[in-house]
Amino acid sequence: MIGLSDYLIVAACLFLLGVIGLFLNRKNVITILMCIELILLAVNINFVAFSHYLQDISGQIFVFFVLTVAASEVAVGLAILVAFYRTRRSIDVEDINSLQG
Amino acid sequence: MANVTFPFPYPQHLELMLPEIIIAIMAMVLLIWDLFLGKDKKGWIAYAAIATCVATAFATIQVTTGGALTTFYGYFVLDPFASFSKLLMLLATVFAVILSLDYMKDEENVGEYYCLILFALLGMMLMVSANNFVTMYLGLELMALSVYVLVGYQRDVLRSSEAALKYFILGALSSGMLLYGITFLYGVTASFGFDAIGAGLVNANNSAHGVVMLGMVFVLAGLVFKVSIAPFHMWTPDTYEGAPTPVTAFISVAPKVAGFVVFMRVLHDALPAVQADYTMILVVLAALTIVVGNVAAIAQRNIKRMLAYSTIGHVGFVLMGLIAANEAGYAGSLVYLTVYLFMNMGVFAIIVLMRRDGIQGELLDDFAGLSKVRPGYALAMGLLLFSLAGIPFLAGFWAKYVVFMAAIETGHLYLALLAIVFSVVGCFYYLRVIKYMYFDDVRIEFNFIESIPMKMTVVVTALAVTAIGLYPDPVMAICKQALVGLI
Repeated sequence: MIGLSDYLIVAACLFLLGVIGLFLNRKNVITILMCIELILLAVNINFVAFSHYLQDISGQIFVFFVLTVAASEVAVGLAILVAFYRTRRSIDVEDINSLQG
Repeated sequence: MANVTFPFPYPQHLELMLPEIIIAIMAMVLLIWDLFLGKDKKGWIAYAAIATCVATAFATIQVTTGGALTTFYGYFVLDPFASFSKLLMLLATVFAVILSLDYMKDEENVGEYYCLILFALLGMMLMVSANNFVTMYLGLELMALSVYVLVGYQRDVLRSSEAALKYFILGALSSGMLLYGITFLYGVTASFGFDAIGAGLVNANNSAHGVVMLGMVFVLAGLVFKVSIAPFHMWTPDTYEGAPTPVTAFISVAPKVAGFVVFMRVLHDALPAVQADYTMILVVLAALTIVVGNVAAIAQRNIKRMLAYSTIGHVGFVLMGLIAANEAGYAGSLVYLTVYLFMNMGVFAIIVLMRRDGIQGELLDDFAGLSKVRPGYALAMGLLLFSLAGIPFLAGFWAKYVVFMAAIETGHLYLALLAIVFSVVGCFYYLRVIKYMYFDDVRIEFNFIESIPMKMTVVVTALAVTAIGLYPDPVMAICKQALVGLI
C-alpha cells in the first residue's frame, strides 16, 4: 500500500535533487532552468498528495496555478538567457562573472 | 436552451478592487497605445503612467474604510494596512517613472518599459491585499516576473542581462522554497487562508510539530529572500549594480514594502502558533543582516553596490520591528519603510542626474567636488545621506529610534545594542560620500541630465526627509492608524 509519506518522500527527493543541481551545476544555465522546473514539480506532487489525503480539492487547484506560473517563468527565464547569450556569446555558468565584489 | 447557472454567486463588492482594476486596464491600454505612437512620442506613455498612478491613489483613498472588507470570496482583503502600503508603492512608482524619463529615453520600445512597471505595481498591490497564499503567490510572481525583465531591460549591456539572469535564478529558487513550505502548512491545516492556517496550527496536534516547523522554515526562507535578508541577500548587490538605475531605485523600495507587508501578515495571521520559534530564527537573521550589510558596504567603490549593501542593513533594522511583533513594532516598521522610500529615491535621483555615457556617476570618485559645481545637489545629497546614516533630527533617526525602542521593550536588548553599534559603523560609508563631495577636488567633467521633474524629485525627497525629521509625529500617527486590519 502506497501511503501519503511515500509521496512526500518522492517529492522531497525531487526537491533536493533540484536544489543540489542548482548549486553544484558548473556547466550550463539550461540545466539550472531544468532544476527550477524539478523543484516546482516536487511542490506539485506534495500538493496533490496532501489534497488527496485530506480530501480537499483546493490543493489540486493551486497546482494549476503553479503550473501556469511555472510556464511563464520559464518563458521569461529563457528570454533573459537569450539576451545574455547575445552579448556574452556563452551560457556557461562560470562565464556569468562580470558583476563581482 | 438549457438554463446555465454559474456555480458560484457573482463576487460581491468588486469595487474594493477598483485600484487594481484601474492599473490592470491602463497597463494593457498603454501597451496597445504604444504601438501607435511615433518614436519621439514614447515619453507620453510615461506621463500616462504617472497619471494612472495618481488616479489609482485617489481610488485607493476613496474605497478605503476604517475596517477590513473582503471580496472575491474572501481571497482579497482591503483594510487600511493594505491601502497605506498601496499608497507608498504608488508614490515609489511615480518617483521611479520620473527617474526613468531621461535615463531610458534612448532605449528601444521604451513604452513597454513603463507598462512592465505598472504590471509589477499591480502584482505588488495584489500581494499586500492577499489574505490567502493563492492570491499572495500570484501577486508575488506577477511582480517578480515583471521585475526580472525590467532589470534586464538594457539588452545590449552585458551587466544588465547578467543581473537579470542572476536575479531570475535565485528568485525562482526562492519561490520554489516558498511553495514547498506552503504545501506543508496546507498539509497540516487543509487551507490556504492566513487566518484559517493560523487557527489550524493552534489546534494541530503535537505529532505534526515537525511538519509545521518544516513548512514555517521554508515559507520564511522564501519571504526573506524577497526582502533581501542575509543569508539570502546574495542577489542584491549584483542586481542593483547591473540594473538600469531607475529600476534599481524602484526595486530597492517598492518590492521591499510589498514584501514586508506580506511578511507581517503571514507572521501575524498565519503563524502566531509558532511565534516563539520564528522569533528565534528572525533574531539570528536580523543580527546577521545588520552585520553583513553595514560591514560589506564599506568595501564598495560603486555607489549602487554600496547602496545595495546599505539596503541590506536597513532591511535588518525593519526586521527588528517584526521581531517585536506588537503594535509599536509593526508601526515602527511601517515608519521605517515610509522614510526609507524618500531617502532612497532621493539618493538614486541624484545618481541618475550624474549619469553620462555608461557608468559615470556610479563610482564614489565621481562625486568628488560636487559641492563646488552644484552646491544645491550636494546639499540635498548630504541631507539624504545623513538621514540614511541616522543622524538625529532627520527622518532616518526617528525611523531607527522607533524600531530600536520596540525591540528593547519586547526584551531584545542585545539585538538593539548590536543594531546601534552597526548603525554607527554604517555612518562611515555614508559620511565618506559627503567627504568626497565637500572636501575633494573635482576629478571629472560633470554633465547633468537636468529636467524639472528630476529637480522636483530631489527637492521633494530632501524636504520630506527634513520635515519628517523635525515633525515626526504625523507620520508615526498615520502608521499607527494604518495597522487597523492587521492587529
